[in-house]
Amino acid sequence: MSADVTQARPLAATAKAAARRRARPGGAVALPLISGIGGLIAWELAVRAMELPPYLLPAPTLVAQVMVEYWGMLMRQLGFTAFAAASGFLIALVLGVVAGAAITASRLVDRMVYPWLVISHAIPKVVVAPLFIVWIGFGLTSEIIFTVVFTFFPIVVNTVTGLKSADLDLLTLVRSMGASPLQSLWKIRIPAALPSIFAGIKISATLAPVGAVIGEFVASNQGLGHMLLQATGSLETPLAFAAVFVISVFGIAIWYLAELVERLSIPWHASQRGTILGA
Amino acid sequence: MHAVALSKVEKTYFAGQGDVHALGPLSLAIPTGQTLAVVGPSGCGKSTLLRIIAGLDDATGGSVRVADRDVNAPIPDVGIVFQRDLLLDWRNVIDNVMLPAELNKRTDRQTARARAQALLERLGVAEFADRYPWELSGGMRQRVAIARAMLCRPSMLFLDEPFSALDALTRDQMNVILQGVQAGQGVTTLLITHSIQEAVFLSDRVVVMSARPGTVLDDIEVPFPRPRRLSLREDPEFVDIARRIRVHFERAGVLVG
Repeated sequence: MSADVTQARPLAATAKAAARRRARPGGAVALPLISGIGGLIAWELAVRAMELPPYLLPAPTLVAQVMVEYWGMLMRQLGFTAFAAASGFLIALVLGVVAGAAITASRLVDRMVYPWLVISHAIPKVVVAPLFIVWIGFGLTSEIIFTVVFTFFPIVVNTVTGLKSADLDLLTLVRSMGASPLQSLWKIRIPAALPSIFAGIKISATLAPVGAVIGEFVASNQGLGHMLLQATGSLETPLAFAAVFVISVFGIAIWYLAELVERLSIPWHASQRGTILGA
Repeated sequence: MHAVALSKVEKTYFAGQGDVHALGPLSLAIPTGQTLAVVGPSGCGKSTLLRIIAGLDDATGGSVRVADRDVNAPIPDVGIVFQRDLLLDWRNVIDNVMLPAELNKRTDRQTARARAQALLERLGVAEFADRYPWELSGGMRQRVAIARAMLCRPSMLFLDEPFSALDALTRDQMNVILQGVQAGQGVTTLLITHSIQEAVFLSDRVVVMSARPGTVLDDIEVPFPRPRRLSLREDPEFVDIARRIRVHFERAGVLVG
């Protein structure tokens, strides 16, 4: 017994120290920042030591210079890309949730549509991107529709999963209270599915800029995707790197925005929980 | 007058690997205002019985009448508390309690809200009305579930092993609290439980069920006046009734000792 106690103390102390380390917010920011800066320095030194030409691999300082020089243009192109990404994503969100609800509500729709949806997802979308020009033409519409196709699947799959995983006992309970099927959907199934739907939203939100950029590769004469293509075509690699950097930062910003919306929409979910009262 | 009347009720589950005869034939009547406890071994069909009476499951034989009507759909005017509290994570305590009023729309919102608040006060959880379920302990959550079941002043209260997930002390406390909530309401109560002591303490009558397919082994009147104190469990007559139930389980091989 006493041995247990003496052993428990250092273990508890270790656990507390580990918890303190995990809770320290500085570490989560500082450590990746240190490794990131270290990586940039190594890249800069390697380019200088090997005297690599900028068209092959530009040094980070050169990319930064180009970014400052072309800032206005980069932001203008980002505006086009962001518009296509946001429009495509929002359309996919509405279509995905409605399709998910229809698949869940009707066994017939489920059996007739869902397998084809899964099969169609297996088709590499990048390969069919040029077909959009044939069908819809060159321009923003093609770009948006391509983004919809690119982002639709995770939303619909997660919506179906969420709506189908509603607690059966809960559904029985509300049935005993006289709930109609519509009330069950509105009061139970949809709120219970929100965490799953948000998981899909977060995946799609990060896919949306990728979809928009690929759309711009093949079907647009504006946006960061088009700019990237032009820059690599004319061996302006530092500008291409600057465009890639802006696209990446935009993608990260979209992810955090989706996280913020999730946090505000489902504050009750496990990820937000605190202490239990009177346990 | 009987609130519930069952005649030769049976339930068989038809499954691919062979049919399972889960319940009956079982006949039983619950007079209006009575608290009936049903005890029996695991899998004897106690919960199935409750679900059949509540109209949540169909009997495969016999007749089920509640308030003089045949049951073939979920019956209105009943509050149900399950083993799991089944509170909605996305609603705070008061909004959880308000759920039945929102669904059946028979009760005016303001009246229902005032009653919800009053019930939470009676159950000792009013100060947590704005909290979310995950912030509460198991006992507190089950109190909220009881408040929700009682919100629309149901004439019947069905309790399906409501306290079996709680620790012994909290369970005792919940027995006293439940008795307090029932007092003066005249609500017909059906309590499904594994606990012999709980069954005798809370009920006016205990029905002992056999192992599957569940039938009535014994039907025992519990004569103690209300309100009852926990010390009643040491009363010789209480002990005798508990022993009588235990002997049934020992004979059935459910309890060995």
